[in-house]
Amino acid sequence: MSGPFKNRTLPSAPLRNRAGCGYGKWLNRISCALVLVFGGPSSFLAADSQQNPVTLEAAREQGRTRSRFLKETQDTPKTGEAMPVANTAAFENSVAPLLNKSCLACHGPKKSEGRLRVDQLNPDLLNGPDVERWREVYNALSKLEMPPEDKPEYALADAARGHIVDWLGGELNKASVARRNSKEYSSFRRLTKYEYNYALQDLLGLPYALAHKLPPETASKEGFKNSSELLQMSAMQFEAYRELGLKALKRATVSGERPQAVTYKISMQEQMDKAMAAKDAKPFEKTDAAYKKHRNQQHLLSLESGKGILFPVGNATPWSGAAAEGTPAVSPVRVVLPRSTELKLDLDRFLPDEGTMRVRIRAGRSSTKPDEYASLRLVFSAHTSNNANFSQVVSERDLAVTGDADNPQFIDFEIQLGDIQRNPFRKLTTTFPRRNEFLHIQNISNAPGGEDSLNVLIDYVEISAPFYEQWPPKTHTDIFFASAQKGDEETYGREVLNRFLRRVWRRPVSAREVDQFMTLFGKSRPGFPTFEEAMLDVLATALATPEFLYLTQRVPTDEAKAASKISELELASRLSVFLWSSIPDEELLKLAEDGKLRKPEVLGAQVRRMLADPRAKRFAENFVQQWLGLDRLDSVTHITDRSLREAMQDEPVAFFRDVLMNNCSIMDFVHSDYAMVNERLAGHYKIPTVYGPHFRRVPIALQINRGGILTTAAMFAMNSDGKDSHPVKRGVWMLERILQDPPPPPPPNVPEVDLTDPEILKMTLKERIVDHRNKAACLSCHSKIDPWGIAFENYDALGAYRTRIKEQPVDATSELFNRQTLSGIDGLKRYLLTDRQDQLARAMVHKLTAYALGRPLAFGDRAEIDSLTRQLRQQQDGLGDLIQLIINSNIFNSR
Amino acid sequence: MNNQSALLSRRTFLRGTGVALALPWFETFAKSGRGVDETPKRFVSIYHPDGVGLPLKSDPAWKDWSWFPRGGERDFELTKVLDVLEPLRDNITVYSGLSHPAARQVHGHSNADQYLTGAPIGGQGPYQNSISLDQVYAEHAGEFTRHASLVMSTNGGIGGPRGAQTQSFNREGRPMPAMNRPREIFEMLFVTSSKDAAAKLARSKSALDFLIENTRSLGRQLSKHDQETLKQYLDAVRDTELKLEKAQRWIDKPVVEVDGRNLHLDAEPKEARLYFQTMYELIYLAFLSDSTRAATFQLGRENGEGPHDLLSLAVGLGGAHGLTHQVKKPDGWKNLGTYNRYQAEEFGRFAQRLKDTPEPTGRGNMLDNTLALHGSASSSFHLSRNYPLISAGGKNLGFSNGRYLKFGKGNEENQAGAGIDTDAGWNGKIEVEELPLSKLFVTILQRLGVETDSFGGYSGTLSRV
Repeated sequence: MSGPFKNRTLPSAPLRNRAGCGYGKWLNRISCALVLVFGGPSSFLAADSQQNPVTLEAAREQGRTRSRFLKETQDTPKTGEAMPVANTAAFENSVAPLLNKSCLACHGPKKSEGRLRVDQLNPDLLNGPDVERWREVYNALSKLEMPPEDKPEYALADAARGHIVDWLGGELNKASVARRNSKEYSSFRRLTKYEYNYALQDLLGLPYALAHKLPPETASKEGFKNSSELLQMSAMQFEAYRELGLKALKRATVSGERPQAVTYKISMQEQMDKAMAAKDAKPFEKTDAAYKKHRNQQHLLSLESGKGILFPVGNATPWSGAAAEGTPAVSPVRVVLPRSTELKLDLDRFLPDEGTMRVRIRAGRSSTKPDEYASLRLVFSAHTSNNANFSQVVSERDLAVTGDADNPQFIDFEIQLGDIQRNPFRKLTTTFPRRNEFLHIQNISNAPGGEDSLNVLIDYVEISAPFYEQWPPKTHTDIFFASAQKGDEETYGREVLNRFLRRVWRRPVSAREVDQFMTLFGKSRPGFPTFEEAMLDVLATALATPEFLYLTQRVPTDEAKAASKISELELASRLSVFLWSSIPDEELLKLAEDGKLRKPEVLGAQVRRMLADPRAKRFAENFVQQWLGLDRLDSVTHITDRSLREAMQDEPVAFFRDVLMNNCSIMDFVHSDYAMVNERLAGHYKIPTVYGPHFRRVPIALQINRGGILTTAAMFAMNSDGKDSHPVKRGVWMLERILQDPPPPPPPNVPEVDLTDPEILKMTLKERIVDHRNKAACLSCHSKIDPWGIAFENYDALGAYRTRIKEQPVDATSELFNRQTLSGIDGLKRYLLTDRQDQLARAMVHKLTAYALGRPLAFGDRAEIDSLTRQLRQQQDGLGDLIQLIINSNIFNSR
Repeated sequence: MNNQSALLSRRTFLRGTGVALALPWFETFAKSGRGVDETPKRFVSIYHPDGVGLPLKSDPAWKDWSWFPRGGERDFELTKVLDVLEPLRDNITVYSGLSHPAARQVHGHSNADQYLTGAPIGGQGPYQNSISLDQVYAEHAGEFTRHASLVMSTNGGIGGPRGAQTQSFNREGRPMPAMNRPREIFEMLFVTSSKDAAAKLARSKSALDFLIENTRSLGRQLSKHDQETLKQYLDAVRDTELKLEKAQRWIDKPVVEVDGRNLHLDAEPKEARLYFQTMYELIYLAFLSDSTRAATFQLGRENGEGPHDLLSLAVGLGGAHGLTHQVKKPDGWKNLGTYNRYQAEEFGRFAQRLKDTPEPTGRGNMLDNTLALHGSASSSFHLSRNYPLISAGGKNLGFSNGRYLKFGKGNEENQAGAGIDTDAGWNGKIEVEELPLSKLFVTILQRLGVETDSFGGYSGTLSRV
C-alpha cells in the first residue's frame, strides 16, 4: 500500500513523518511543549502582537499556542445524547454585567449602532430568536474588533473577554446541535457537469471529454459549483443528458468488421528525396556559412551527410500497403525543429469523420542539456479560401521529448476526430473551396536558439485513424462481454443489463428492475436491425435515470434503522464524488456491497488508495478552482502570455496537491518556505534555476516574498482591475476565501469614486481608498475589507513583486479594524499566523466540508465544524488528516 | 367570431403564381398553446456577400452608383442602385452606421459567419460562434409550425469556419446546414414522409414513460425535502414528453398540399434569375402555409470564386466577387451597382408578393406581419463597417417605414472607407462612430414577441426604429 498516509490509523495518531513539509521537525517539538506551558483559560487572547517574533516560522509556533481549540478538552455533545439546556444562569450572573459595562453605551437604549441592542438579545440561544445576532457578537469579540480601540473607557480585559466568548461559544454550539436535525439544505443533488463527464468517462472507459454540450454550472456565493441548492434540472438539460449518453455509448461500442484504418507513414528520408528532386530545390550543407540563416527554421537534414533543405510543408498520402507492416529503422534524415517551429503536414482529405486518430512521432533531442526541455504539441488546421481559415490546438497537453538523437523515442497522441474542428469541404467533388487538412507538430521549448541550441529531431511520423488497440475494443467488450448465452437475446440481455445497471446505479440491481428494462428493450427491439443497437437505446435510457444523474440518499423503510446515517453504498458514492469527482470503482463498490466499507481500517485504507489514484487530481483541481475562484482568471484580459496564464492557473492546484500528498499543515497555505513552480512562473517570481514546464517544489528565500497561496500570481491577477492592483477586490477575496468572513454586499447607494475630480486624480491608489472609506456609507464595510488588500500593495496586477509605483515607494502598511497594524505581506502573514490560526483552520474545514457534502453549511452544522476543527488542530493541522477526519465525521455519514 | 370560425374550419384554397395551395393549418393552432387568432409573426434574413459600391464623393460614379440614399430621414432619395425599391418606399427602411463591433477590423471575407450572430469570431486561430438572430426567434416561435426554421443558401451546407455558407447558428454556436436545391426544399416542406420519425417518437415516448415510473419509485424512498428536488427532474421529463406530443401531432397531420408543377424546382444558380426567384418563392410558400416563421437565405459566399458566384449572370456580368475588385476599371462602379440593384430588385419582388397577399388568418397583408432584412457584413471593399441594410415590412409588429435611418457619428455621407479597392481599408483605423447592429436585433426580437434585452453581448434597443 503506498498511500500518502501509510502507517496511520484514526483518530489517535502518532506523529507521522512530515519530512516533506517545511516545518515538520519544528512542529513535532512544539506539540509536546504545548500542554505544559500554555494551558491558561484565556491564552488565545494573550495578544501582545507588538512583540513580533523574529521569523514567520516562530510566529506560527507562537500562534499555535494561542489556539482556543487546543486548550479545550471537551468535545461537542453528541447527537442522541440528552437534549442540551441553555445556560442562562451564567449569563445573568457573569456575562450580562460585562456586556452592559462595555457594550451598552453604543448598543443599548441610548444608541443602537448597527441596529444592535445587547440588552434586548434573548440569552436563550437554544429556543430564542437571536442566534444570528449572537453569532455576530461572538465574531466581533473573538476577533478583537469590539469594543473599538479608540474607546478605552469601554475596553474589555482579556479575562472578561475570554469569559464572554467562552460562554457564547458554548451556547452557540449547543444551539447548533439542537438544530442539527432541522435540515435547511440536503446533499441530495444531481452531478455537476464535470462530475457527469468523469462518471461517463470512468463508466465507459473513454478518456476524453464527453459533456461539452451541457451548460456550465452556477457557482454558489462561496464559489462552489457542486452546491445542491443551485443544481437545477430543466427539459433542455435532460434532453442533453439523453443525447450525450447515447452518443457516448455509441463511441464505446462498435459493430461489424474492424474498419480499414487510413494510415499515413511519413518518412523524412522520402520527404527529403522529394524536396531535393523538386525543380527549384535549394539544398544546403550544414557546413555552409549560409546555414546560420536556415538553422532557426524547420528544415530537413541528413545527420550523416550534412545535406539539408528548408521544409515549409510536407505532403502525405495514405499508405496502401498491408496494415500490419512494422515501422522502418531509424533514419539519419530528420526534420530539425528549432524552438517554436513546426513540422506541417498536408494530409489532404482522407481522414475519417469519427474515431481516434493516433499520431506517433519518433523524436529525439539534439542535445541533452538538463536545463533545456522540448515538448510536442499538435495543431489541426485548414485554409479553405482566402480569409476563411482556422487552426486549433488539438492535443490535450504537451508531451516531453525525452529520447536523444541516437535513440529517438515514439511519442503518441490520440485525438478524437469527431470532436475537433474539421474542414467541412473535405468531401467536395470539386477542388474549391480547398479540401485539405493540416496537422502541425510544434516544438514547445525553452531553448535559447543559436548554434548548439536544443532542437527536436524527427525522422518518422505515423498517423492512423480510426485507431483501435484491439478489436473489438475493450470499451465494447466491457458492455457486450463474452457469454455462453450470447445467442439468447432474453437471457443475454438480462446479463448485460445487470452488469451495466450495477455500475450506473452504484448498487446491486434486483431481478425486477432488470425485468422492467427488458420490457423497454422489447419495445425497442423491432426498431433496430441488431440486438446491440436496440440495447444501446435502452442503456442510454439507464444513463438518463435519476439514480445515475443524482447522488441519492434513501430513507430506510425499516423504522429501527431510520437514523440519519447514509448506507454504505451511498457512502461509497459520496466518497468517490468527493475524491474522484466520479462514480465508485469496482473495489469500492464491492466493499460497500459486502458491508465492509465502514470498518475503520478499511475506510482509512480506501481513502489513502483513492488519494493516491490519478483520479484524485480531479479533486485538487475542482476543489481549488472553486475554493479560490480561479475561473476569474479566464475573464481578465491583461494576461497576454498564454503560458503564464496556464502556470498561474496550475500553481495553486499543484501547491494544494503537494500539501495534501505530504500531509503538510494547512498553515502552509498562509506561508511556506517553499513554492510550487515551473520555469515560466519561476521566471515571473525571480526564482532562479527552475527549468521545464512541470511543477515542482523548490525551497525559496524570504526575500522572494512568496510561499503559500496568498502570494500566488493567480490571486493577484484575478483580483486586479486589468491594469493595477485592486486592494478592495483582494481584501474581499481574503475575507471570503481564506478567512470565511465574507463582508456584506455593498449598499445600493454607494458613491462612485469621482475620477474627474482633480484632487482625487492626484492621490495614490491607497489614498483614494482611504478617502472613499471615510465616507460614512462606506466606512463600516471598507474598514473591514481594505486593510487586507492594502497589505498586498507590493504586488502588481500580474502578481510581480514591486517596491515602487510610479516613482513612489510602495506603501503597503494598513491598520485593521481592531487597530492591528499590517505592514506589507510579511506583516500580514505574521499577523495571520500569530493571531488567526483558529480562524484559518476553521475556514479550511468549512470550505472542504461544504465541498465534500455538496451543500451550503448552515447553523446546524456549526458544532460539527467546530469539532472537526478541534480534531484537526490536535492532529497538527495536516491536510491529509483533515480529509480523513471529514470522511469519518458524523456529518459526512449523515443524510 | 362566428364568421371567423367558419373561415378557419374550411380548407382554404389559395392560388399564387400558378401554385395551387390547400391550407389545412388552422386546426393546428387550435391545439397549440396560444390562441388561434394570433397572427403569425415572421422573420426572414437575406444575406449577400461582398458588400456594395461606395465611391468617393469626388468620383463621377458617386451620383448614381453609391449604394446609400441621399438626404434625410423622410425625404431621402434613392440612387440608381436602390431605385427599384421606389414603389415600396413606404414599406422599407434603409439603415446606415450599424455594424458588429468585434468584426470592425477583421477582413470582410471572414465575416458572413457573424452577420446574424455578432460573435467575436476573429480572423484566424480557434473559432467559436454563437446563436443567430433567426434561431433565437425559432426557439420562441418554432413550436407553432412544422419546421422551426428554414435555412437556405445558394451554396448549401455549412461552409467552413470564417467562410460560412449558412446564416444560421444554433444555441451552441454550431452552423446549421443550409439547403440549396429547390426540389429538396420543396419536398422537405410539402412532401414529407414521416414513417421513421413516427417510430422514433414512439420509442422516445416509451423511454420517457419508463423514466417517469422509475423516478416515482425512487421518490417514494426519499425524504420530503429531497422529493421536492427530484420533482424538478420529473418536470423536466414531463416537459420533454409534451414536446414529443407536439412533434407527434405534426407527424399525424397531413402536409399542406401544394402543386409544384409550375415551380422551377431544378433551377441552378447559373440560371440566375430562375434560381433566385424560385428560392424566394419557396420562402413565400413556406410563410403562406405557415410551415415556418423564421427563414434565412445566403446568396453566394464571401470570397466567392467557385461555381456559385454566378448570380451576377442575371445582369450579364461576370463573377460577383470579382465586381468588387474591379471598381476602378471603366464602368466598375456601375457594374457593381448594377448587380446590387438586381439583388434589391429580387428582394423587392419578394416583398411585393408578401404585400399583395392578404394575411390568411389575421389583419393586413403578409408583409405587415413579416420583417424581412436584407444586408451584408461589409460595405465597401472588404470593410466590415457600416453594413448596408434594408428592412421591409413589419408594420403590424411596430415598424414604421418609409425612412432612411442614420446612426453613429462622423459619417453622415458614408464616405469613411469609400473608394477603396485595396486591403488598406479593412484593417485601417476606425475614425467614425457606429452603433452595434445587435441593438437593432434586440429591437427586432422584442417586436417579434421575444422577451429579451440583449443579443450577442449587447443590451438595449435602437431608438427611432
